[in-house]
Amino acid sequence: MKTKLAVIVAVAGLLVAARPVAAHHAFAAEFDADKPVKLTGAVTKIEWTNPHAWFYLNVTDETGKVTNWGLEMGSPNGLMRAGWSRNSLKVGDVVTVEASRAKNGTPNANARVVILKATGQRLFAASSQGQQQP
Amino acid sequence: MKRFTAAALAAIVAALSPSVFAQWPLYPLSGVPRGPDGKPDLTAPAPRTADGKPDLSGIWMRSDETEKPGGQPAGRPPLATFGNAGAGFKDGLPFQPWAADLHKKRAADHGLDNPDALCLPQGPLQYHLDPQPRKIVQLPGQILIIHESNYGLRTIYTDGRTLPPQGEPQPYWHGYSVGRWEGDTLVVESNNFRGPLSGQPADGWLDTTGSPYTDALRLTERFRRVNFGQLDIEFTVDDPKAYTRPFTVRIDQRIVADGSEMIEFICHENQMFLKLTGRAP
Repeated sequence: MKTKLAVIVAVAGLLVAARPVAAHHAFAAEFDADKPVKLTGAVTKIEWTNPHAWFYLNVTDETGKVTNWGLEMGSPNGLMRAGWSRNSLKVGDVVTVEASRAKNGTPNANARVVILKATGQRLFAASSQGQQQP
Repeated sequence: MKRFTAAALAAIVAALSPSVFAQWPLYPLSGVPRGPDGKPDLTAPAPRTADGKPDLSGIWMRSDETEKPGGQPAGRPPLATFGNAGAGFKDGLPFQPWAADLHKKRAADHGLDNPDALCLPQGPLQYHLDPQPRKIVQLPGQILIIHESNYGLRTIYTDGRTLPPQGEPQPYWHGYSVGRWEGDTLVVESNNFRGPLSGQPADGWLDTTGSPYTDALRLTERFRRVNFGQLDIEFTVDDPKAYTRPFTVRIDQRIVADGSEMIEFICHENQMFLKLTGRAP
């Protein structure tokens, strides 16, 4: 019971940081907000780097073919300010990601939300999508 | 297997509760004025250096304030935004025709050459409005503005020197800046910018939609620390090559008082932008 309450409170804390926390804008040059994807798979690699953290996901399609997708998140600076730590995501974690596809057709996308299968926790990815406000 | 224990989650929540900017372990900031309740008093008077001038030192974040065009306080210039320096002007910025065309092209390209996306120095206005923090260090004779984003470092010389002639020294991404006090306002004049006309497309972006500036820019900034918590900046662009007349916008910044620090941002270490936009293997 205490654990469940702590999960809810922690998720609320992670949801608070809706404001943009890092720059590096040119989202629309790389990604298409009108091409959303929802991907589920196991994390194969995490690059906790600037200007954007990346993680890689093995996604299996209906035919059984596995594609390794690259997901871009915000910078670790922004992610940490939004409540992530380097260990929030681990290789082997099964996640569902809501993301915007890369314009160049490669299996890359810009992640907006990462949902951890084990806990159901929703982590906002400090994405630069939606920050290009006038 | 549980990823988080209840204790770890409680620790995360505790770390988040003072401020959403909690990241590195918080170390109490010294010299923060406190109210009778012990909380930081952000409306206390601005601190002063030994020579009696206001001390602009601190870590500053852009404020969340927004304004409708025409909605600025009486007699004040309108707020600029990170995406649009002219957001507060009903008719936008007074572009010269080529500058208006370049602005349209840059926006249509979705910021392909935005220095912010290329890990390059972002220019003075983008830097003031970047969502990442900046640290002002006020020393006798010079004031440094150190930006977390893209290794930005501006030096404002306050030792009485005047601006060098245009073209000498070599034009900078950051320009050459000298500052003097007029009462409690720091007036900073800058020249020797470069802009895009010499062939560097990522230079001369006032905002992320690419409102240009050129090597003709004579920039005047007026910094006023209103109180402990607020820094008010007026930003006057006098660039006859790019604009038909000078214009002034305003930036509002707030102090970071919870002990949060700037975090290292080594932009080039995993730069995928060129790859994803077809300009690098």
